[in-house]
Amino acid sequence: MPTHEIGLHVENLCVSYAGVPAVRGVNLEVKAGQAIGLIGPNGAGKSSTLLGIMGATARTGTVRVNGRDVSGLPPEKVVRQGVAIVPEGRHIFAELTVLENLKLGLVGRRKKTGITEAFAEVFRLFPILEEFQGRKAGLLSGGQQQQLAIGRSLMANPDIILLDEPSLGLSPTAVDTVFEALDVVRKSGKAVLIVEQRAEFTIAFSDKTFVLHDGLITLTLGPSDANNVDVLTEAYFG
Amino acid sequence: MNQFIQSLVDAISGGAILGLAALSIGLVFGVIRLANFAQGEIITASAYTLIFTWQFGWFISIPLSIVVAVALSLLMEFAVFSRMRTATPATLLIASFGLSFLLQRVYEMLFTNTVQTAPVASGLAQSIDVGGVRIQMLSVITILLAGALLYGLTLFLSKSSLGLQLQAAAADFQTARLIGISASRVIGLSFALSGVLAATVAFVSTVQTGAVGPTFGVPIVILALVGAVIGGLDKLSGALAGGFLVGFVTSMLASWLPQDFSNFRDAYVFGLVILVLLFRPSGLLIKGRGVART
Repeated sequence: MPTHEIGLHVENLCVSYAGVPAVRGVNLEVKAGQAIGLIGPNGAGKSSTLLGIMGATARTGTVRVNGRDVSGLPPEKVVRQGVAIVPEGRHIFAELTVLENLKLGLVGRRKKTGITEAFAEVFRLFPILEEFQGRKAGLLSGGQQQQLAIGRSLMANPDIILLDEPSLGLSPTAVDTVFEALDVVRKSGKAVLIVEQRAEFTIAFSDKTFVLHDGLITLTLGPSDANNVDVLTEAYFG
Repeated sequence: MNQFIQSLVDAISGGAILGLAALSIGLVFGVIRLANFAQGEIITASAYTLIFTWQFGWFISIPLSIVVAVALSLLMEFAVFSRMRTATPATLLIASFGLSFLLQRVYEMLFTNTVQTAPVASGLAQSIDVGGVRIQMLSVITILLAGALLYGLTLFLSKSSLGLQLQAAAADFQTARLIGISASRVIGLSFALSGVLAATVAFVSTVQTGAVGPTFGVPIVILALVGAVIGGLDKLSGALAGGFLVGFVTSMLASWLPQDFSNFRDAYVFGLVILVLLFRPSGLLIKGRGVART
């Protein structure tokens, strides 16, 4: 693999909690401008894969960001290599304002220039955040909080963005808003890795979707498989 | 009436000082779930510094007492707590007990068991007459000092990037790291700020008593911990308010209870704690039950 290619390269990633394996050798690659989906039943190891990539949990295997090995790094340093994560359950800072949450996203930025543009870009993507910038983040609706969580991750100007169940607990309209924004993000040349429960939605959206089962990738699906009930049943119950 | 106003000013000042002490514990607790009992020994070290260096002038003694408090606080983090990052809050608390006793013995070896005295800022111990009411200068200074410190701290936490990062880490440590906030940096910052607050508490307490022994900080930190728990350790405002409340009530009880009863004032305070823990286990100011960080 060329060493300076923009994107995420994961090789034989294993994550276990107190000896119990959650991820057992995942290999995947996300290139610039690409969206990759990761679906599977509860407990399949989807979130653990993302946390393993970030270095937020004990792991083995190799994680390369833009060709650079980040396997031994703690999360705060992985972020500075150009990866941002939108964690499951959004995890915005409820007591802080929308603007303060976005400012915190700047901490992970590699270059300290272009900050005005970064705000402008996020506000263009999510106008509601500009309108509510002085409001406490905890007072936003679920959909708005998800927009804030994505906006916060974009403030770091990452090359790669990982999303853990961005549609969780959102209304259908809010889900549409979120995925429309993610489409813009993908088209802007970032590599997007989405973990989701909503299989059909994710398969249709992503360029490629991996099915995770018991910590292993068992199936690879393309957008045309979105409506193939047999394939989906196989993916979840096979 | 005059006596009431006097006692009120004293109580506000007593509350302010315990509020700061509780806040110094809450700052660290918020980030790494450590209720640092050895905070008392930081106060003691800072107080000893004042006693031993006051003869060289306040402009040397006071900055030095702050440096000692911050340095000891950071040393504790580096030498002990940073090596126990995955420990539970209970283990951390016990470790801080051990550290506390160890340091008390060290102070005993270095400075003996007898109290060391020096007229630290003795001018502040005088009373002033305000419209017929005798008010202790020290009480007024304490209130002003605490107010200024709180204002500065609030400004720092809400306006500076580092302050925001500290707030974020206190609210959700895992997420803070996931967005790029450096764990060691915010932890170090919280210990350093906590040291500054401890030095302030040490200054006021040393002026008050003029005498420092190996266990000087212990009663302060016990009441501060009690206050922090009552108010809710999870939130800085909770710890501050709880500390204030305990300091205020203790001082008022001392002023107004008959002598026979006021000897037991700490017992009343702890009785209050039991009631709070029974009915509001996560603190007076925190909604719902507190959740321990895993």
